Amino acid sequence: MISLAGLRKDFQTGDQAVAALRGIDLEVGKGEFFVLLGPSGSGKTTLLRSVAGLEKPDAGEIILNGKTVYSSSRRISAPPEEREIGMVFQSYAIWPHLTVAENIGLVLTHGRARLPKNQAAERIRRCLALVQLENFDNRPARLLSGGQQQRVALARALAVNPALLLMDEPLSNLDARLREEVRTNIKKLTGQLGITVLYVTHDQVEAMVLADRIAVMSHGRILQIGNAFELYRSPATALVAEFFGSINWIRGKMLDGQRVESEIGPLVTETSRRYDGAVVVGIRPEDVKLDDAFNGVENRLDGNVVSSNFLGDQVIAEVKIKDKILVAKVSPEKERLAGNVAVQLPRNRIVVFPEKATGEPVA
Amino acid sequence: MRGRWLFVAISAAGLLPVVAFLLIILWMGFWQGSPGEPVVYTLKHYQTLFADPSTYRTLVNTIGFASTTVLVSLGFAIPTAWLVERTDVPGKNLIFALVTIGALLPTFFTSMGWVFLLHPRIGIINKLLIEWFGLEQAPFNIATLIGMGWVEGLGLSSIAFIMIVASYRMMDPALEEAARVHGLGIFRTLRYVTLPLTLPGIVAAAIYIFTIGLSAFEVPAIIGMSNKIFTFSTYIFYKIQPLEELPNYGMAGAVSSLLVVLALLLSWAYFRMLRFSHRYAVVTGKGYRPRRVELGAKGWFCAWFFLGCYFLVAKFLPFVLLVWASLLKFFQPPSWAALEHVSLYNFYGLPWNLMLQGARNTLILMLSVPTLALILCLAISWTVLRSGLRWRLTFDAVAFLPHAVPQLILAIAAVFAALFLLHNVFSLYGSLAIVIIVYTISRISFATRIINNSLAQIHPELDEAAFVGGLPLLQVMRKILLPLLKPALVYAWLWMALLCYRELTMASVLVTSQENVTLPMIVWGLWLGGSLNQAAAANLVVLAFMLPAVTLYLIFGRRSRFTEAL
Repeated sequence: MISLAGLRKDFQTGDQAVAALRGIDLEVGKGEFFVLLGPSGSGKTTLLRSVAGLEKPDAGEIILNGKTVYSSSRRISAPPEEREIGMVFQSYAIWPHLTVAENIGLVLTHGRARLPKNQAAERIRRCLALVQLENFDNRPARLLSGGQQQRVALARALAVNPALLLMDEPLSNLDARLREEVRTNIKKLTGQLGITVLYVTHDQVEAMVLADRIAVMSHGRILQIGNAFELYRSPATALVAEFFGSINWIRGKMLDGQRVESEIGPLVTETSRRYDGAVVVGIRPEDVKLDDAFNGVENRLDGNVVSSNFLGDQVIAEVKIKDKILVAKVSPEKERLAGNVAVQLPRNRIVVFPEKATGEPVA
Repeated sequence: MRGRWLFVAISAAGLLPVVAFLLIILWMGFWQGSPGEPVVYTLKHYQTLFADPSTYRTLVNTIGFASTTVLVSLGFAIPTAWLVERTDVPGKNLIFALVTIGALLPTFFTSMGWVFLLHPRIGIINKLLIEWFGLEQAPFNIATLIGMGWVEGLGLSSIAFIMIVASYRMMDPALEEAARVHGLGIFRTLRYVTLPLTLPGIVAAAIYIFTIGLSAFEVPAIIGMSNKIFTFSTYIFYKIQPLEELPNYGMAGAVSSLLVVLALLLSWAYFRMLRFSHRYAVVTGKGYRPRRVELGAKGWFCAWFFLGCYFLVAKFLPFVLLVWASLLKFFQPPSWAALEHVSLYNFYGLPWNLMLQGARNTLILMLSVPTLALILCLAISWTVLRSGLRWRLTFDAVAFLPHAVPQLILAIAAVFAALFLLHNVFSLYGSLAIVIIVYTISRISFATRIINNSLAQIHPELDEAAFVGGLPLLQVMRKILLPLLKPALVYAWLWMALLCYRELTMASVLVTSQENVTLPMIVWGLWLGGSLNQAAAANLVVLAFMLPAVTLYLIFGRRSRFTEAL
């Protein structure tokens, strides 16, 4: 459905060129809900806008639905109006001088399709029903609430029967409660229509709820592509691991096989990769096990609880092992933990990366 | 707060004359008298005014002139603003620089250039066309309403451009992108999205330009008056300084009162329109760049052809003509034969003593007026935004008045006050002091607007923290607010200094002696006296003096602040 190859883009700020996309290769299948996830400045919005034709890459190729819309080598660059897409903008971009119905009608009667008035009216009705705004057709669009504008934007994007729906952080301007509701609606609606979606966000929960697959981006590169479970459990880089929830980092040195001599003691891991020299070992707080004894298990360490906070569904404890403090999330059996504890780090939950994995510093 | 009343008092001192001037104008409309005779109050002026057919002719003239001005300036501003804000046309910084310089070029300067170009008798284009095509009479005539509107419109096109750019910047570019993405091409997007959304801004700009056109003085004075085409401004001026009869302040007062009412109504319409356009404004806050329409090489060529023609016609051609005229004793079109007559005769023959006096006065004005205006307006802005005074909004409204009231009328009110009200107290008439006072008051709106905008962005807690720390108001102003406001103040000071330099409208009434003569007045005096070529030479000398100040402005005054002034 979407096929991107070697996409590059530099931005000129002042006399300095900043790379926004540094060679992106990506395949998105038909009917897939694909999320681009990354911090601001990672290039995800530039990538989306390049697919829309709102940004012109410097090099590479974009194929949408079998049609080459951009190719630097063949000097093709189709303007946005010739790409079969619908798009929801972060600011919704609802035309304030038109009514709700006119907002949808304009793209139907003057867009790619050029429908006659009566057919357009029928389509407008159907689209508004889709987003539960049936009786809003004559309302001036600028008088709608944020949530309603968001729905009009979605209805407008779907009205053109696009092969591909692009969404640029569509939930970031909604309040938290509404966001959850709209998120569910988007998932349901796009699933029903079987439409391909390319969705940009910086919120990993949003990405995990919505996506069939996620691409994690940083500094103009895709770090990893996979579903939520893969990205959480088997991150390809330290940065991906950090982006999905918190994680404890422990410095160490790789010994033979899968053993690491770490700053808190020797650890056994299941890593399949070989690294020479300095590494960091990561373990998520909920995987850190605490107990009174833990006799005879591997990766057992002696620690000392330095702080403990009861949060209702869990207890967050800070455990000091040698000079290193690890955060542990444990089930709330006691109000607080204190004193000496035995700590176990299960080998199958440990991830290992070279200390200078991607050039990004590890916290 | 210690020192609060000092600030309120300074603001009041700046704003009371504004109110006084307005009342004087209204009063003048009913006043009749001349030195040595008892003063009578009468409705006669209004009766004469409404009965006189020349009033209606002047009205039609003025409206025709102002409308042409609007059309010409928007005809440049709308396409250029679109090119700069929404396309990838190269050389945007150059366009902004040229526009800024264009705004600073005095209108009396270009007006003279246009007379040399298109005057039916001496204009070189007319002469050439007659010669080439064997025409019976001159095809163009600058001394018409259309011709004058053309010159004024080109002069105001810079301001129009800046205003239209502002209305593009206020609009969320995603609104246009949404149209493109959903299948509307460039032209449909322009027609169904860009134009309707910027229309309130365009109409507001049109009203603004029209208001300036209604009371514009320089072009009608330089091109119109000698050809007996009067607009309201020259009509009023003629009543004050007639050639034969005695000055008729009563009639001037009556016409001015009507003009003031009209200008206030238009200003009200302008603000309504501006508020309407702000309804569509979306603050994205995200500094993301909108998609630029790619014009391609052919488009770039067309765009720069249009821009090149404009800058050539609007700014360069009049300049070249003035240079040419200044080198000749008698004006004639450029030719090999004419080259033999080229000399610096006009420059030698300039009234250099008077010009030195004029330069001295102009320099004093450039230094004193911006400084005084900034002191007054700092106090006014503080009173409006920070004092918590119950009357503060009245201060704001009064501070706006000098913007709406035509400058010529402010000057007439001042002259009238000096002649008939204060003559026993001070002798202001013909002094440099009266010029300083009126110039300063006329800039109050501009400076208040600039300082208000900047002060509003400084969080009140910054000065409150200093008050809590025990600093008195004057120290808070000196240590906290002035440093933070500095960029705005520098910009406003430089801009006002430049406006002082080129000011002719107010000077035309205020300058009555050698003691308070200014450089533009000397140029105009030569022009009115019929020494066109010498006036051209004087004009060039004046422009050369202005150059260092313009350079300073381009270096220190940031162009983005330009928009705040409107």
